[in-house]
Amino acid sequence: MEKNKKIVVYGSILSFLIASALFVYTVYASNMLSYLSSDPKACINCHTMNSAYATWEKSSHKNVAGCVDCHLPVGDAVAKYKAKAIDGWNHSVAFTLNTYKNNIHISDDGASRVQANCVRCHASENATLKMNADKYHSEEVGSLENGRKCWECHKFVPHGKVRSLTSTPYNLGVKEKE
Amino acid sequence: MKKYKILLAVSLVAIGLMTALVASINEKKDEQEKLNQVPKVDRWETKNEEFRKHYPRQFDSWKETKKSDEIHDMLKEYPELVVLWAGYGFAKDYNAPRGHFYAVEDNRNTLRTGGPVDEKTGPMPTACWTCKSPDVPRIMAEDGDMEYYTGKWSKYGSDIINPIGCVDCHNPETMELQVNRKYLDEGLKAAGEKTLAEATQQDMRSMVCAQCHVEYYFAKTPLADGKSAAVVTLPWAEGTLVEDMEKYYDNMEFKDWTHKVSKTPMLKAQHPGWEMWKTGAHGKNNVSCADCHMPYVQEGGIKYTDHNIGNPLENMDKSCMNCHRVSEKSLLANINEKRERKNELHKKAMKALAAAHLEAGKAWEVGATEEEMAPILKDIRHAQWRWDYAVASHPSFFHAPEETLRILGTALGKAGDARIKLAKVLAKHGAGDYKAPEIKDKKQAQEIIGLPFEKLIEEKMKFRNGLMQEWKKEAEKKGVYNPKSTEGVEDKTSYN
Repeated sequence: MEKNKKIVVYGSILSFLIASALFVYTVYASNMLSYLSSDPKACINCHTMNSAYATWEKSSHKNVAGCVDCHLPVGDAVAKYKAKAIDGWNHSVAFTLNTYKNNIHISDDGASRVQANCVRCHASENATLKMNADKYHSEEVGSLENGRKCWECHKFVPHGKVRSLTSTPYNLGVKEKE
Repeated sequence: MKKYKILLAVSLVAIGLMTALVASINEKKDEQEKLNQVPKVDRWETKNEEFRKHYPRQFDSWKETKKSDEIHDMLKEYPELVVLWAGYGFAKDYNAPRGHFYAVEDNRNTLRTGGPVDEKTGPMPTACWTCKSPDVPRIMAEDGDMEYYTGKWSKYGSDIINPIGCVDCHNPETMELQVNRKYLDEGLKAAGEKTLAEATQQDMRSMVCAQCHVEYYFAKTPLADGKSAAVVTLPWAEGTLVEDMEKYYDNMEFKDWTHKVSKTPMLKAQHPGWEMWKTGAHGKNNVSCADCHMPYVQEGGIKYTDHNIGNPLENMDKSCMNCHRVSEKSLLANINEKRERKNELHKKAMKALAAAHLEAGKAWEVGATEEEMAPILKDIRHAQWRWDYAVASHPSFFHAPEETLRILGTALGKAGDARIKLAKVLAKHGAGDYKAPEIKDKKQAQEIIGLPFEKLIEEKMKFRNGLMQEWKKEAEKKGVYNPKSTEGVEDKTSYN
């Protein structure tokens, strides 16, 4: 009886150590810490995002806004990390189990975040737009809140005309400058 | 104690999960590295399965073409075809195309290639192998083009054995896209089109398909030793539109055969897929064949080209949706509408042509003169050429809907012209009330044109059980065929 106890105690400690070491290795192999940053390269740890990265990298948005500036809530840290955690979980499950389609589409939640960020950065243009709309149209028809998204017209901003596997290089890895 | 047990359990579960995750991450990283390597394979390695160890995804997807195995007897569906092709091989046997995997098998099995008993018999020349196998460019390189194009189809039975595969489009030493059949470049030059030397990578993604999916004919070419070769040639010197090729053939008074009933010097359209694609919206925007028929696929960290060449509509998420940002459903509805429009004119033209042939046959019977018939036969020749051109290139309604309808429209017009003239000739010779029999089914149509169907099958079966089996054994001995590659393939035909 005494012997079994010892096995459990030592076994549990040993396996805890192995698990911890493996965790450290997993953190390293999966670039896990990069997810805490706002570096766009963190998004292409998952190769699915390469075409989005490549098209953004060639866009005028590159110098002013990275992935998170458009795709995550800005200003509210709780909302930001909640969105990050939920998206991160969904993405890693999809990528690991290969359950996503070739043509990926933004979620409703993601779309409303992006819309809020378009409005946030382009506040002065929006103000003019809203002023004109209020002046010439009824509120429902012309207001910014009537359900239309900026990119319904600005289709190619910032990811270009064709943002798909076809439009990016054969080798999926986006090469960093040496 | 309980705490330790929980710790042990949690740790073990964590180890299991993390091991799986790390394995998955590292596998994807490894795959990416392998993607950049180009292993060297022999230049004339034509056994497709030899490529599997280096290009497993491409090979496996190529092998998926095996799933496209349905025999769809077109003569049964449209028995008028038997009358339209009376006196020509296509009246014997004509099925909708199957996957690339079956290219050689279908060529051996079709009644069109007959039942040769040795290397010097049979109805067809060696040129009939040209598009069926990577062994063809190998033989062309070994024997020279002219030797290849000389003799009977049965001459190369034991050499041409692997179905359309890797070497047809790739140089195995570099895996670059390569056109292995010289007539394409000659055709492009004659047409004043961009040649292979000038082609971009994107052009090559269509050119490798254009090696076979074009209109061609076998040009009879005299050789120094008194023999003659049947050389695959593209009729593009006047241009690549249907009228241009019609003019080309008319100028040289070329005919594929003489119609058994109407005595018309006929043209058989092959499958001008590349030419039709060029006139449509996708071709004009340089969307290549491969963009839709071989879409990119992502598997973990790997991006590769799908080699399961077939109908892109079965795979819309990977093909169409890359560019079209609408719903799959609305795109499909649009395409089906195009197909219906084509079918309407296709069927009308076919029925008009069948009637014209039979009416012309009657006219000869009641004593019409060569002079009276000449303009009629010209109309029939042109009408059938155009109808055939528009439908033989199978998805022409998709590749170029307007061009397809335009060609079918002119085919119908010309068939109508022929029949108006025929009505006058028949009336003049006292047969004004003649009515061509309605074509009911394949069997009746074969009886009308006097086709010895049972005899053809008998000869064919003798060949398939005899000479064809010897070919396979010889090919294995020569080291160009691995019988395992076709293991479990069911012999499917329309006649047995």
